[in-house]
Amino acid sequence: MSIDASVSGPVQAPAPAGAAVSVENLSISYAAGDALVPVVQEVSFSIAAGQTFGLVGESGSGKSTVARTLLAQLRAGSKVMGGTVKVGAQEVFSLPAPRLRALRGGTVALVAQNAGQALTPSMRIGGQVHEALTSHGMAASRAQVLQALDQVRLPNVKDMARRYPHELSGGQQQRVSIAMAIVARPDVLVLDEPTTALDVVTQAAVLRLIKDLCQELQTATLIVSHDLGVVSGMADDVAVMRTGRILENQPTAALFTSPENEYTRELLRDVPKLRTRSAPAATAVPSEDEGPEDEAATSEVLVECKDVTISYNPGGPPAVDSVNLQIHRGETLAIVGESGSGKSTLAWTLAGLRGATSGTLRVEGGSAGRAGGDLGKPVANRSRELRRMVQLIFQNADTSLNPRRTVSAAIRRPLRLFGTVPRSQEKARVEELLTEVGLPASFGKRLPSQLSGGQRQRVGIARALAAGPDLIIADEITTALDVSVQADILELLAGLQRTHGLSTLFISHDLAVVADVADRVVVMKNGRMVEVGPVEAVLAGPNHPYSASLLASVIEPGDLDLPSALSEEQTWMDDPDGGWEEPGDGHRIRKWKDA
Amino acid sequence: MKSVLRSAEPMFIIGIALIAINVLLAFLAPWISAYDPIASNSEAALQGPTGAHWLGTDMYGRDVLSRTLNGGRYALLVTFLATTIAVAIGALLGCLVAFLNNWVDDVVMRVVDAILSVPTILALLVVVAVFGSGMWVIVLAVVVVYTPAVTRVVRGAARSVSSLDYVTAAKARGERAGPIVVREILPNVLDVVLVEYAMRASWVVLLISSLSFLGFGANPPAPDWGLMVAENRTALTVVPLATLGPIVALATFVIGLHLTADGLGKKLGVDRAMTGVQ
Repeated sequence: MSIDASVSGPVQAPAPAGAAVSVENLSISYAAGDALVPVVQEVSFSIAAGQTFGLVGESGSGKSTVARTLLAQLRAGSKVMGGTVKVGAQEVFSLPAPRLRALRGGTVALVAQNAGQALTPSMRIGGQVHEALTSHGMAASRAQVLQALDQVRLPNVKDMARRYPHELSGGQQQRVSIAMAIVARPDVLVLDEPTTALDVVTQAAVLRLIKDLCQELQTATLIVSHDLGVVSGMADDVAVMRTGRILENQPTAALFTSPENEYTRELLRDVPKLRTRSAPAATAVPSEDEGPEDEAATSEVLVECKDVTISYNPGGPPAVDSVNLQIHRGETLAIVGESGSGKSTLAWTLAGLRGATSGTLRVEGGSAGRAGGDLGKPVANRSRELRRMVQLIFQNADTSLNPRRTVSAAIRRPLRLFGTVPRSQEKARVEELLTEVGLPASFGKRLPSQLSGGQRQRVGIARALAAGPDLIIADEITTALDVSVQADILELLAGLQRTHGLSTLFISHDLAVVADVADRVVVMKNGRMVEVGPVEAVLAGPNHPYSASLLASVIEPGDLDLPSALSEEQTWMDDPDGGWEEPGDGHRIRKWKDA
Repeated sequence: MKSVLRSAEPMFIIGIALIAINVLLAFLAPWISAYDPIASNSEAALQGPTGAHWLGTDMYGRDVLSRTLNGGRYALLVTFLATTIAVAIGALLGCLVAFLNNWVDDVVMRVVDAILSVPTILALLVVVAVFGSGMWVIVLAVVVVYTPAVTRVVRGAARSVSSLDYVTAAKARGERAGPIVVREILPNVLDVVLVEYAMRASWVVLLISSLSFLGFGANPPAPDWGLMVAENRTALTVVPLATLGPIVALATFVIGLHLTADGLGKKLGVDRAMTGVQ
């Protein structure tokens, strides 16, 4: 088994003899009523020991279904229609139950997306790792358990082993599940979206760890992700899947420099890129980025936040800590930060779903001669005009629309509530709005379940527009969407913003998306602003160490390696004297000291 | 509804059919029963089944079939009224307190706990003893003892709905609690409410019949299932059908309700084990 012999050619790669994993002509169908719906069609690939194979594709492409077959696992109702899945020399679907149990976790181990759900909440970490060893007939001493935890670079392992899963952070939980996966020394490791639930900095660290461990242990690794960057950084070979088929299977470098398939090219084009480096990819991808941006943004202030502090409970640390920021009329201001940084709390306060503890939030007079007002008050105490001015678009379009109400009812409600148009014109206005967000007017009769994710998000945008707002708060609106849909939605939003002269507060954890859409960006950490400035200035630096670690953690398609080991620990502290550095042009950085 | 029935399980259809037959017969009873259910005839007392009296007669010579047909009218009417009112109030209240999620929730739920801690049949006996056994007294008493149970179940379901984004969106629009409950929350817990209705109805019809059996519900000589069982059990060995008739009628109705509730639950994805109490 040579390690570096990855001469896998085009789509139908012949399985090299002795490959750790070989999948040949695999077809799987799902029984829906009487019909059999194919979910995987004639998929073939092989992975040699020590190699990493990446499967990318959008949701519903069948990539997870393929990955789980390595553990001989199928969703209820699915059936293998043909083909073989071999791990080592064994055909996994023909294994008797006892051998299958030995295969799962012993020969093939899985790291699933959400480690918080993969760990048993009532068992201590040490006990779970211990069980992972003993259930595969391996002797397990306390020292081995601790060594396993140490191997995934968890700090203070003796203490860790005594803790329960809920006492760990998301990144630590994912490390524990990796420790459990590799502790029985599997030959094959299956990573199913292993870092999707993690923050960028943690993601980079966890991926680095997995990559190093796989090289050290010479496992054959299959990584499944929707994130082209992650796969690019991890895999030696990458296959692109769509509607159950592998469209293209190439060595990573080749795939990202000269994609052969049109769909791959589209995907690569749709991924927002942070560093518009002159990567070879750029030559293959026709550069048809958005045209010259209208400088709609003015210096006229629409919303002004002064010393805003928001606490959930009076004693504890505030979720948002003395934030000062301005949103200018017509601009897109992005707030970037990890979960728990207070970015969503601030947005929800602006939307009036929660009151501010102290400080002032003011919106200036609106466009159509509207009076300004105090946004520090919750929505119940705001005037109708004030409620109209600020509208929210949600992260998850699946849950932001009432499943029992039609699209037109959802859009009509704000029209009625805010009296935007007379009743007789409501129907026409709903159709107008639907057309404006790129949906056929006939969609008004549909229920949300009859729409795709992207279409639902368009309805969410139409509903926000219906009120005729001045400020739109977009809270992670593309996180739940596929790359190509995300590109469409962002484009739509940018267009609407130009035509309606809207200001947007864009909440996101994805720097690449932010770089694409925002005029100015605010970086938040632990409820405080650490940096603010025009996007170009922030990207160019100099940066606050936290922003720098965010930027360094970004893995883009075409990056063949991962960022070198970054510390997840905070290496800085706020300067006790306070104050800001100002490199100029509105770019401000909170002063810090090394911790 | 058509598609619901077409893809329904046979048990669900049997349940619906049992309910429909019981309700239909009770409704048509005055026109289809051969005898006056309260006319006694000492000549024909305690007869077995004959051509003239298919289910025989009781100790006063009254036709058992006619009495059984008519005997459901009172119980079913009270059940329908009491269950509808209790479920309507309970569902609205449950959704409202789940949405408010503040001190109102605490107060209402403690009151609910207090009422739930009183044994149902005892509470009803006290009410009837004090206010008499008029139909509306019993309806109101049943509403008072069953609304809390409904409130609690619906509140549980509504809590998970009220944290969803479309409720948040309504709040951000500045909608009041009333429209949010009616437009956003209630339609999405309707499955739970429907199952709850079927389950509660079966409890209520048994409760009403128990009251009559104990002599606190329908008054003699009115035909009523519970009352008939009480009257005829002394003659159980002589004319068993006089007791069995109303029992079978009551049992088929209750079984029908249970099958329907189970079928609805499976159909609509409501898991009684997750949301039910008692």
